[in-house]
Amino acid sequence: MRLMTKGKAALFAGAAALVGSAMWGGPAQAEDITINMAAPDWPPTRIMQDMANASYKAPSGNNVQLVIDFIPWPDYYTRLAASLTSGEEKYQMAVSDSQWLGANIEGGYYMKINDFIDADPGLQAVFEDLHPNLVASYSTYPHRTENYYGFPQMPDVLVVYYREDLFCHEGEMAAFKEKYGYDLPCSPEEQNEVHWGQVADFGEFFRRSSGDSLGGETLNDDFYGIAYQAGKGYDFSSMQINGFIWQHGGSIWDETMEPEGQALGVVNSDVAVEAFEHYLSLTEHMPPVVQTGTMDIFKVDELFREGKVAWIIQWIGFGESAISPDTSKVSDKVNFAKMPGLKVGDEIVRWSNIGGQPFVLTTWNSDTVIKEALDFCKWWLSTPVQHEFASRGGQSGLQSVYTTPEYMEYRPWNHAFGPSLDWQRDVWHIPEFFELLVQQQEEFDKAITGQISAKEALDNIAVFQDELLREAGRIED
Amino acid sequence: MAAATYHAEHGTLLERFFARNRGPILVAPALAVLVIMNIFPLLWSFGLSFYRYRANRIKEPEFVWFKNYQKVLTDPVVWERFQTTAIIVAVDVLLQLVVGFLLALLFEKTFPGRRVLLMLVLTPMMLSFVAVGAFFRYYYEPTFGLLSQGIKAITGEPFILLGSEVGALAGIIFADVWMWSPFVMLLVLAGLVSVPKHLYEAAEIDRASWWRRFWTITFPYIRGLLLLAILFRTIEAFKLFDIVFLITEGGPGTSTETIAVYVYRVAFQYFKTSQSAALGYILLFVVIVLTNLYLFFVRRRAEEEP
Repeated sequence: MRLMTKGKAALFAGAAALVGSAMWGGPAQAEDITINMAAPDWPPTRIMQDMANASYKAPSGNNVQLVIDFIPWPDYYTRLAASLTSGEEKYQMAVSDSQWLGANIEGGYYMKINDFIDADPGLQAVFEDLHPNLVASYSTYPHRTENYYGFPQMPDVLVVYYREDLFCHEGEMAAFKEKYGYDLPCSPEEQNEVHWGQVADFGEFFRRSSGDSLGGETLNDDFYGIAYQAGKGYDFSSMQINGFIWQHGGSIWDETMEPEGQALGVVNSDVAVEAFEHYLSLTEHMPPVVQTGTMDIFKVDELFREGKVAWIIQWIGFGESAISPDTSKVSDKVNFAKMPGLKVGDEIVRWSNIGGQPFVLTTWNSDTVIKEALDFCKWWLSTPVQHEFASRGGQSGLQSVYTTPEYMEYRPWNHAFGPSLDWQRDVWHIPEFFELLVQQQEEFDKAITGQISAKEALDNIAVFQDELLREAGRIED
Repeated sequence: MAAATYHAEHGTLLERFFARNRGPILVAPALAVLVIMNIFPLLWSFGLSFYRYRANRIKEPEFVWFKNYQKVLTDPVVWERFQTTAIIVAVDVLLQLVVGFLLALLFEKTFPGRRVLLMLVLTPMMLSFVAVGAFFRYYYEPTFGLLSQGIKAITGEPFILLGSEVGALAGIIFADVWMWSPFVMLLVLAGLVSVPKHLYEAAEIDRASWWRRFWTITFPYIRGLLLLAILFRTIEAFKLFDIVFLITEGGPGTSTETIAVYVYRVAFQYFKTSQSAALGYILLFVVIVLTNLYLFFVRRRAEEEP
């Protein structure tokens, strides 16, 4: 009898477990969910894919897989825009430049995440921990409002890459001091205090011809002092020129001030012209490719890795290839510092255009996919994952991560990253971004290649922007 | 054939249907692909050119009649781009004809290594535009590029070909001539080898000069093919995009921006979708006019000949 009772009880319990498992889900119920994400093909997104493959387990128990569609950088905007606008609804998530937010939100492609943040203390903690400039740049539309859309994928800033072997070479240091009357900055700490006036000296000093001596060796090719982006493509001059304009006290058209904010008289103000002339004056110390208007960030990277330039300004995202012996001839000779500022009195005024990208959710996802995507975002922005990402060459926007002592040890440029975030600004997030950018790049390029003056370029830009933004209702008298 | 006839008369209903409509059925898949991939997008974009529509905005398209065409045709930038294109087309096609013709004269003769050399000369034509564009971008690059290094060995200064408007145009034209002269050569060579040898022998007996032989014997045989080469190359040069975009990105400034590059910018950078459709149709119209001009000349020649 007792046996019978036990047997019945066991049978009942087994049946109940089966019913329970069918009702509430269990391992057998786990769904296979694939999150397709569009992303530019470069190390930060490759690392993300590797890390997701290796260690992401969805808290829901579903089999969630992140599948990144790696698209080459030069085609990225066109390919992503074509996919979004075609209605194919291929991607559940996408890495996006912050400037594309306006166009793609107005187009109905990027999902607003305010409700999810409000309902989730975990996401609230993430947003509180992120540097406010990153939140403003990567997440908000309209810019600097409390409407949130994106999470940081790879926060990035412009920093200095320099040839430590040359800047710390005794002979070069002595010759520099004799010529310019001050020390050649050797350590990253000294380089952090460099201003643009010194950069012109570096450019002049390190310009050598084939047969000259450099760092105790005879050159068999020409060598150049400095390089920064000055290309016609995408934003490959605006990102540097904006920094000059802001540092000189000028401004670009400011979307946060619409409709009162003006383009005419602001974009082409005397201060802006002076800043642009300053930018142009330094190009004379750069490799001759600058005169063709094709010195984009990829060319600057190539010139540095080939050992043709002593000092460059570049996004941190290129750092890995500069320090890898597989891809760089100067991998063991490079060090990093903050981007220079403009010396005004005893102060160095610092502003720069933020780089990097957020990643966003698209609007056509089911509730299940949204939940899984948000869980993935929380995983990505969790402290251990961000530490691992940084240790493999990425950057973290979480203050609790990038201020830690171990973070400084991950990569030689990390000391410059955190402090630089304080003086980052972003350009237009509005849907008219690409029209503004393309016309501006063309005018900048004409000035860089010597076809028109800085003033003519800025006048043309101001007139175009005034007309376009008035038509769009963004400027009113 | 006999089987088909048998099935058409005695087979099942399906067999009779297939036997009687074999031609249309065989052509149908190709026609379907043509309609889906070419005709439908063509008509769709034509319709789009009468609307105000931007692919990156959520706004409903608005019918605006010919406003896009009016806007495009009154835009001075469009005319500037047409001028740039016209310069490139004129010089590019002329040089391709000259180089192609000279190459054809060379390869008309037999000489040791002709076959290998011919293969090498034809190679550029078989390469992809991206490969040619990337190659010439590096070739002209003033810091590492072969051209600059070569000139620097003589002058001591790096050579910046793409730094000026004329230099950049020359760079693009040279690349396109390098790539497409072999095509002209092939057409002209086909004409040259079709000239009956006895005509040259007769001319030799009459002691006709080289020019006389060329003008009265050779040229009539290659004239039609030359016109065909001009037509093909003019249409292609008019649509020149890949090489320009890869070598100069339309720069310095906008000095090498062809109309095809401009259409791309309007469509995919400014996202003025309907305006770019209108511009695309104007481009198509120009190409159709050029083609008809060619056909007009061909017909006139045919009428003139006895």
